[in-house]
Amino acid sequence: MFTPTYVVQQIINGVNLGSMYALIAIGLTIVYGLLRLINFAHGDLMMLGAYLGLLLLSATFTPLLLTLLIPMLVIGFVGVLVERVAYRPLRGAPEVTMLITSLAVSSIIENTMVMSVTAQPRAFTLPPGVNQLHTVAGVSFSTLDMLTVGLSVTLMIALTLYIRTSRTGIAMRAAAENLRAARLMGIDINHVVMVAFFLGSALAAVAGWLWAAKYSTVEPFMGFLPGLKAFVAAVIGGIGVIPGAMLGGYLLGFAEIFFVGFLPPAFSGYRDAFVFALLLIILLIRPNGILGVSTDERA
Amino acid sequence: MLQIEGLTVAYGGIEAVRGVSLDVAEGELVTIVGNNGAGKTTTLMAISGVAPIRSGRIVIDGAETTRLAPHAIVARGVAHCPEGRLVFGRLTVHENLRLGAYQRRDGAGVRQDIDRIYALFPRLLERRTQLAGTLSGGEQQMLAIGRALMSRPRLLMLDEPSLGLAPLIVQRIFSVIRQLHAEGVTILLVEQNAHLALTVADRAYVLETGEVRLAGRAKELIDNPEVRKAYLSQ
Repeated sequence: MFTPTYVVQQIINGVNLGSMYALIAIGLTIVYGLLRLINFAHGDLMMLGAYLGLLLLSATFTPLLLTLLIPMLVIGFVGVLVERVAYRPLRGAPEVTMLITSLAVSSIIENTMVMSVTAQPRAFTLPPGVNQLHTVAGVSFSTLDMLTVGLSVTLMIALTLYIRTSRTGIAMRAAAENLRAARLMGIDINHVVMVAFFLGSALAAVAGWLWAAKYSTVEPFMGFLPGLKAFVAAVIGGIGVIPGAMLGGYLLGFAEIFFVGFLPPAFSGYRDAFVFALLLIILLIRPNGILGVSTDERA
Repeated sequence: MLQIEGLTVAYGGIEAVRGVSLDVAEGELVTIVGNNGAGKTTTLMAISGVAPIRSGRIVIDGAETTRLAPHAIVARGVAHCPEGRLVFGRLTVHENLRLGAYQRRDGAGVRQDIDRIYALFPRLLERRTQLAGTLSGGEQQMLAIGRALMSRPRLLMLDEPSLGLAPLIVQRIFSVIRQLHAEGVTILLVEQNAHLALTVADRAYVLETGEVRLAGRAKELIDNPEVRKAYLSQ
């Protein structure tokens, strides 16, 4: 039953799903690293990205790439706006206060969408050809799958280079390690936080578009579960550490696909329970996540 | 260069610094000595804009900086080498030095200054691609000072540069401090090792429970019986 073709097929599916989790997890982890904020509204920015993508796709003249790029930019700025309006006034407040605020922001965004576009799911229709299936040696994948993996990997490489080598990137890593010391170096924390929200939200928008394309539908609450799972991915990888978010995303994507693909079908309804069980097990073995740093180190 | 008038800093209801006034002139090496909890570190933190100032005024180069954000104070030419060094352990030595020059836009000058720091502390050059967290305490202190110098400060504040270091390394660090002073860098030095600090400084302030207890020429304070008894254990 588990022929090599079948295994390869599952690996492709795992990479696919993992790419999306990784994209979402990055934004969560960058923001947490800087502000200790668990941003529950992150999944909602993903949803907004999907809706904006759909809007642009319905305007037939928009090139496919622009239906991705425009949401990236716009949602990036929406993320910056959310930080400015909702989170910045709370800077230095207890973590719980910030967490509750992010839940409120999430609720506001979701309900605004329900009021303006209704809670009814809508079809996310792609231009002809994007869902074209290719079969190579019995393994099948669509053009969309290639786009998902190719785009995600490209964006993650670009982000990694930016974080590793640019002045703002180095400042971002420094601020995540020790906020006070970073301020003493003359780093304007507000600027760094703004860039972090822009990048994280832009990546979430891409993930939202890809997610909606994969499941051919959008609805106002579509960001909740992926957001939660991406948070699990970020924690598994070591929250606050960007490569950890990527690793965690792929690990979770694989785990979920393999769980459904290799166990008897009777278990497949438990895939989400399995994801969270995996989180518990990994945290029992490595409390700070796989690539995480112990909190004692962070002065 | 720096004037502080009646500075009071309070964390919650607790006043860590009470009505402190002090000044540092261009090119001077001034030290603040005193026991643990006397308010030395808090004073430096207040100058850098990261401590909650309740009242008082801080003036740098004739312009008030009391309520400015930390990055604006760095822009006025203040570099702060904090207590406990606080190097970025997950960044390389080289990245730490680059961060010290965060606000500078002259790439060529920055590269030149990094080479200057490596010449000053050859150990850092050997370890330039290593993560700062893997350095020894002495090396981290060298890195912290180097990082502070990377902004080409007009006022260099050093907080407890000798803390927890072996005597040989302390000597090395203090010879660098002397050298910087000789080159004309204005330095405000906080030290628990009062003897060492008073030997290198031009003037000194003695802080006790958040207040200035004594002030004067370092050479005179070192012979002051009160100081000898309380801080030099002689």
